[in-house]
Amino acid sequence: MFTEKIELKDLDKMDAEYRDLLGRVLTIQADCEIGGPHLYVETMLPAAPSKLDQLIVARTAAEEIDHFRKVARVAGDMGVDVSFVLSQPNEKRFVDTFRGLITTWEDHAVFGFLIDRVGRYQLEEFYDCSYLPLQRILPDIVTEELGHIEYGYNKSLELMSKGDEQKERVQKAIDYWYVRALDMFGRSGSKRAERYLYWGLKRRSNEQAREDYIREVNPILLSLGLKIPDPLEGRRYL
Amino acid sequence: MPQAAPGTEKLDEHLQEVVRALHGAVKQGVSHVNDAKVMDKAIADSKEILDVIMAGEVKEWLN
Repeated sequence: MFTEKIELKDLDKMDAEYRDLLGRVLTIQADCEIGGPHLYVETMLPAAPSKLDQLIVARTAAEEIDHFRKVARVAGDMGVDVSFVLSQPNEKRFVDTFRGLITTWEDHAVFGFLIDRVGRYQLEEFYDCSYLPLQRILPDIVTEELGHIEYGYNKSLELMSKGDEQKERVQKAIDYWYVRALDMFGRSGSKRAERYLYWGLKRRSNEQAREDYIREVNPILLSLGLKIPDPLEGRRYL
Repeated sequence: MPQAAPGTEKLDEHLQEVVRALHGAVKQGVSHVNDAKVMDKAIADSKEILDVIMAGEVKEWLN
């Protein structure tokens, strides 16, 4: 197990596998950061239920663009150009969840509540990681992601308080995003994930992180009076 | 020391400016929630900035 802490200046001395894995994880992270706004800006900025919500959509997008910028800087400094993901069509996103468009407000709310929470998990993987420039950008990004999760939760709650029909629509959105959230953690027993762990670039296996997520999210869903979707139905990565 | 990817610093500076402008527009609207005109202008400004980023013409931004 690799336990050292690495600065940019040390990268040339590192094993090629380390540099490859680091470049890969930064590229995927950058794609996920900009993939969010590409899912909802076009559709939700004009369709949010109030002017204030429209501005919060814009603010959320601004924060995600800034997260992209920070990750792109860390990648760019080590020679990995991730700028191509800025013009990448949604259907080519690395993670399935970011392919498509969000077209309803309840989907937007639940996306914040469930998918931004996965985003937080992905970022938490890098806490105390071996690459210090990556570790340094995390605190501000995670704080902002917490804000997105809270907003999504509050908006879901607000919608559900409007009656059974709205609650059903939120449940439908939960059914759609829950399995996608679980898939975002990747395959259980992944060999690549083991290498990330070995190099100190991540701290949990895919299945561990997914289990932690389920343990956190399921009680919240139940406390809201929502049903927990079948965790296996429609899954792509078990 | 690894060599930085071309355009790294320029893209970083450009996006930093974009994010600053976007936050400025949002802040202007959020601090005038009772003024529909200011809110509309803030939303329109935000949309204009975001449309450029969503179009993703990176080469144009950096030229």
